[in-house]
Amino acid sequence: MSTSLERGIRTWVAQIDAPIASFFTSCVHCGICADACLFFTETGDPKYTPIHKLEPMRRVWQQEYTFWGRLAKRLGFSKPVTEDELKEWEPLVYDSCTLCGRCSMVCPVGNDITYMIRKMREGMVAAGYAPEGLKAATSRSIRIGSPMGVRLPALQAQIKAAEAETGLTVPLDQEGADYLMLLSSAEIMQFSEIISAVTRIFDEAKVSWTLASKAFEATNSGMQIGSSDLAAQLVQRIVDAAEALKVKYVISPECGHAYTALRWEGPNLVGRAYPFKVIHILELLDELRAEGRLKTDGFEDQRVTFHDPCQIVRRGGIVEPPRNLLNMVAKDFVEMEEHGIMNWCCGGGGGVSANERADPIRRKAFDRKKHQLEGMGVAKLVTACSNCRNMLEEGLEDNHLDEDIEVVGLAEMLAEHLAVSNRADTGESTSTAKE
Amino acid sequence: MKDTRTVGEILSSQGISRRGFLKFCAATASMMAMPPSMVPAVAQALSNARRPSVIWLSFQECTGCTESLTRSHSPTLEGLLFDSISLDYHHTLQVAAGSAAEEAREHAMQENDGSYLVVVDGSIPLGNPGYSTIAGISNVDMLKETAAGAAAIVAVGTCAAFGGIPHANPNPTGAVAVSDIIKDKPIINVSGCPPIPIVITGVLAHYLTFGKVPELDDLGRPTAFFGQTIHDRCYRRPFYDKGLFAETFDDEGAQQGWCLYKLGCKGPVTYNACAVSKWNSGTSFPIQSGHGCFGCSEPDFWDSGGFYRPLSATTADVGTLAGVAALAGAAAGAAIGRMNRSHRARAQARHEKLTIDDIEES
Repeated sequence: MSTSLERGIRTWVAQIDAPIASFFTSCVHCGICADACLFFTETGDPKYTPIHKLEPMRRVWQQEYTFWGRLAKRLGFSKPVTEDELKEWEPLVYDSCTLCGRCSMVCPVGNDITYMIRKMREGMVAAGYAPEGLKAATSRSIRIGSPMGVRLPALQAQIKAAEAETGLTVPLDQEGADYLMLLSSAEIMQFSEIISAVTRIFDEAKVSWTLASKAFEATNSGMQIGSSDLAAQLVQRIVDAAEALKVKYVISPECGHAYTALRWEGPNLVGRAYPFKVIHILELLDELRAEGRLKTDGFEDQRVTFHDPCQIVRRGGIVEPPRNLLNMVAKDFVEMEEHGIMNWCCGGGGGVSANERADPIRRKAFDRKKHQLEGMGVAKLVTACSNCRNMLEEGLEDNHLDEDIEVVGLAEMLAEHLAVSNRADTGESTSTAKE
Repeated sequence: MKDTRTVGEILSSQGISRRGFLKFCAATASMMAMPPSMVPAVAQALSNARRPSVIWLSFQECTGCTESLTRSHSPTLEGLLFDSISLDYHHTLQVAAGSAAEEAREHAMQENDGSYLVVVDGSIPLGNPGYSTIAGISNVDMLKETAAGAAAIVAVGTCAAFGGIPHANPNPTGAVAVSDIIKDKPIINVSGCPPIPIVITGVLAHYLTFGKVPELDDLGRPTAFFGQTIHDRCYRRPFYDKGLFAETFDDEGAQQGWCLYKLGCKGPVTYNACAVSKWNSGTSFPIQSGHGCFGCSEPDFWDSGGFYRPLSATTADVGTLAGVAALAGAAAGAAIGRMNRSHRARAQARHEKLTIDDIEES
């Protein structure tokens, strides 16, 4: 069955739940969410007011679920949602919203506008109004297994390289390991240092872990495009692999939305509780730190700051771990003025980075991050999401700041400072350090 | 005979020193929240101001406003300043009586047409003009006639400003405020039952200094005096903030001077300067003497549900009504909820899984 306006509206009718109904009812039209959205602050155009991006779905809610709306619909007084409107709203919903969740933080009546946009996208994609770039990424995710088209041989090559570099074994498909480590395609293709980094850290901390050949990809384009059906398929692959390998934990990597998809949406998407726990790599590293299993040597000699990935910090609640970890290796760690749960998005989350059409506005929205960094005098911008990392590198380059500021992944930075104990060559038992 | 001396000349002829006069100007300026740099301007303007003609009309009132002004502060600078305006008509204070009194009013109106001030205390009955008349003229007719040539009107007291006690339920005389009748003149409401003397003199001083009405709030009151609530400036406010309340008028809390909120104090919703300027030459004000604020400078204060009922308590018995309404609401809500749930369930049942083929085709 192909996508259609009618199918989109029916999807909204099915998706509008009690929270959505109460959010629409509670909205007092104050417009405070506008100032929380970087697409509004950087353009000044009121059409980017977050709650306005939901107008078609609001009308469906009104016409289907409210007394007066239903009456008006029956009497023919209400204006049905049209194809033209969906066409007009498509860029608002996909190009100028990164699902960053900042609007949800400021809403005085507590509306989770981000949750609403997520539902809004369900109807948009079912009606056939989704950006080409994101459709293509979703298509590659479903058909190939990764939004960037990464296949197993590519991973195997990177594993080989990491093993050569570290002299350690990178476990693949090891049944009975405690932790199943996932990766994002960007990590495999661009930031493959992460593989050696976690290999060294886990080896040092004696973490029993593995990668899985059937589920190495953590990202979820299905969630970004807004289709629960497709998102569920992608989560199911990970669940199947984790169950087959009988792991206790699945580690969500340095990728923002992967964590949201797997940790918060996943069980609802597949319709049951997981037999394992999902833990973010930063949470795990912070646990290892607290247990004394992660030790570092030396400090960064330059000033560093941390860019909070929205899905991990604001939406994920992992606020302190990255700071604890950074303080282990950086003496001059400074915060941006708005940081933690009120940080500003890199501009490329929520599928925006996969959507070429959104490039101009995304680059414009980066001005916010540029202003944040101005005058801070930082030499390193640390983050914990490979998508943020890509966006930050690109944005700094656009603004000719890439010479001054280097973008670094947090786990890699830790691995660089990892305190290595001298071991017996067998690697099985920790011997005391030889002088 | 028209007195053409300036205010400054009159004050010095009455033995008020320059120093005393400047002190008054400074006090007036600070009361009106003007910067200290304005004091010389106030002094200059007041010294040189011509005595404006003032016609004082008293309608349905108790003379309390006049008492407040003439007695409680007399003989102070405010009182003397008030003497030094040309009060051409005030039927309580003037010597003339009968037709001579009315002549004085008409004479003042003719001589100062367009420039005199009208001060009104008391509300105006619209129910039957016979309820209150002066020299056979109904209040409403006299107000309209006198207001026609006025530069501005000062409605003194809550009766003139908002209808006051005569306006209280069931309002047998059909009493209304000045602003309900006069629409085409600037009206300054100096509410209070009675209003604070320095507020009256302050408003007149402002008018003399700047030749225009002061900045007013949405109820037509000068913001300089009515900009903050009694509660905001109350010396008992720290107890409110700490949650320390007197529960009765003779308990430990009352003796310790704790907040009177629970004893019905209307300070949080009452805008007036009592807590700052106080009464009887700055001696005290109701809360300082141990009684909550009535809220007398607010509209309908008499009908706001009992002086000893705390602000958070309801003013009517709503228990039964609320119960019935809640039951009806819950039933309607449950019915609509059931309907909406089945609507949603039907849509979910008809949902066909979105496939990657669907998306690629679109």
